[in-house]
Amino acid sequence: MNIAVLIKQVPVSNKVSVDPETHALIRASVEGMINPSDRNAIEAALALRDQQGGKVVVFTMGPPQAESSLREAMAIGCDEACLITDRAFGRADTLATARVLAKAVEYYGDIDLIVCGALSSDGATGQVGPMVAEVMDIPHVSEMRAIVSASEERRQIEVLKDLEYQTYTLQVNLPVLLTFQFGCNEPRLATLRSTRAAKKKPLLTVTNEEIKMPSTLIGAEGSPSRVIDSWEPQDGRKAEMLSGSESELTQQLKELLAKGEEV
Amino acid sequence: MKKKIGIIGGGISGTCLAYNLSLYDNAEVTVFEKDTVGGASTAKSAGTVCLFDDSLKNRYWDVRLYGFETYLKMEANEKGSAGFDNTGTLVVATNEQVEQTIKTGIALAKSAGYSGEYITDKDRIKEILPDISTDNILGAGYTKDDGYFDGTMISNHFAKEFVANGGILKTGVKVEEVIVENGKVKGVKTSEPETYEFDVVVDASGPWSRFTGKMAGLDVPLWHTKAEAFFLSPPGKKLSYTFPVLKYPEFYALRSGDNIFICKSHLSMDLSNPMHAGQWDPDKLPATGGTDDYFIDFLLDQLEMKVPGIVDSGLVSSWLSYRAEPKDFWPILGETPVEGYMLATGYGGNGVIEAPAASRDLAKLIMIGESTPLLEDWAYSRLLP
Repeated sequence: MNIAVLIKQVPVSNKVSVDPETHALIRASVEGMINPSDRNAIEAALALRDQQGGKVVVFTMGPPQAESSLREAMAIGCDEACLITDRAFGRADTLATARVLAKAVEYYGDIDLIVCGALSSDGATGQVGPMVAEVMDIPHVSEMRAIVSASEERRQIEVLKDLEYQTYTLQVNLPVLLTFQFGCNEPRLATLRSTRAAKKKPLLTVTNEEIKMPSTLIGAEGSPSRVIDSWEPQDGRKAEMLSGSESELTQQLKELLAKGEEV
Repeated sequence: MKKKIGIIGGGISGTCLAYNLSLYDNAEVTVFEKDTVGGASTAKSAGTVCLFDDSLKNRYWDVRLYGFETYLKMEANEKGSAGFDNTGTLVVATNEQVEQTIKTGIALAKSAGYSGEYITDKDRIKEILPDISTDNILGAGYTKDDGYFDGTMISNHFAKEFVANGGILKTGVKVEEVIVENGKVKGVKTSEPETYEFDVVVDASGPWSRFTGKMAGLDVPLWHTKAEAFFLSPPGKKLSYTFPVLKYPEFYALRSGDNIFICKSHLSMDLSNPMHAGQWDPDKLPATGGTDDYFIDFLLDQLEMKVPGIVDSGLVSSWLSYRAEPKDFWPILGETPVEGYMLATGYGGNGVIEAPAASRDLAKLIMIGESTPLLEDWAYSRLLP
């Protein structure tokens, strides 16, 4: 079974600057890492590949430096990578991003299953995965817990999805897109050896030359949503260390509670 | 009259000096830290004060011992204050020269009343560190008394102590100008509106010292060497033994919770190699990551040869730190051509070990004008053409 993993490079720090004109996050200024729930998607893909054979191809759309996240994904165990990068794709909203990702997966070809994280740690819309499925006109299951079993022959996959008070076992036809919840499995780690080996794994760069998307569907022009304002959150929280004996601490806590402070 | 001293930088150098100054009745100390205490290169220090390690030459044994005992006492007075992890230390002899240095170190440690043995029985070495390869080694020095400390906790403890002694700590305040008039320092301007007047200003900004020195019109001859470190999760995720501080001439390792911290050694740095050394901007250092590909190759080769049992560990995280090193790898302490402007910088990878003895002597120089042999060895003037 050939599996595509869609990942996003997100900022390591939460000190991200916002462009005052476009209200877009300035991502070039900070160091990137693989979005946390995407690591869970990678783990699910690798576990399925280890069981059933095939390959795992990791995709990301982003600036050229996003290659480091693709190399890391290959160090963790993905077999191939595809870097989707073009200035024309920049400043895209979730829909314009999903269109490009969908097209790139089709361009790459021979994919049975697409997986990705449920939410990004920076944008946190949870929209891109399901939108890719809609654009490709295939089914999707979002915010999943695990893959139970899969059959390439029967073109079917069985998955677990948690809802508030129940867990559903769902059977879906392939090809399908699955989004994984953060923490649903324990992602494996890269090793020194696999990190070195990842430098030599195949990486395909895809620009708009290859996928030929009209400008009305991609980038800022192809994005129906507009950010009309943005601001930095006011951090009003403060912490104070209390010290003293047990009875002094009790007294201090009592006074704070009486003042209506959060403890 | 009180002597007003301003210290730039709240890492191990600045806080330890502030503490030593605060022991004098007539000192009025202010420390400016632009971020958090012990949060930059001090936080990335491994904090090893190994009794037989050669990163600080045996020539300066007293400096090492003074540092070690200062922190042992700190830990004894308030448990956890120095973050001591008593794992023992294993220093591996890969050639006769290293062997000789280790044997000397053992003699010195024993003379100070600590345990120490030079082991040539390879089974015994494997008992201490089961994952090691004993091929191609002559033996290893071992002490169970040793371990590593936490530079950030120590800096914060020193900060707490000097504040208790009446010192002032300004965190989140950046020094933006050093006021010098007629070759004499007058004070500093900071990111706060107020101007501070001082009799003495000390640069304790480590990897930032080139920039700090420029504010006083000084060229501080420091290079940055890269301290690249990885945190490894051993195969099986948990070791069944206590991983000691492990030292080879090329790298060192120690335990960090269930993980192993591993770093290229200070001694293996070559200032003429642009992969090792240069002059960079520490403000641009990322909190994690930033290591070069060559480091992966280096570490893989080293571990395959020397500690094959952990070579297939998972990579949990990595970081890059800049050590501040003068050409001869010794610190720069004391007076400069600018009257009243002093240096307590260039500790390189050894700030945690060296700061207690160096700060003790520097505080005495500042407060009563009396120098010491250590300060003379590590004076700024030695680096002038």
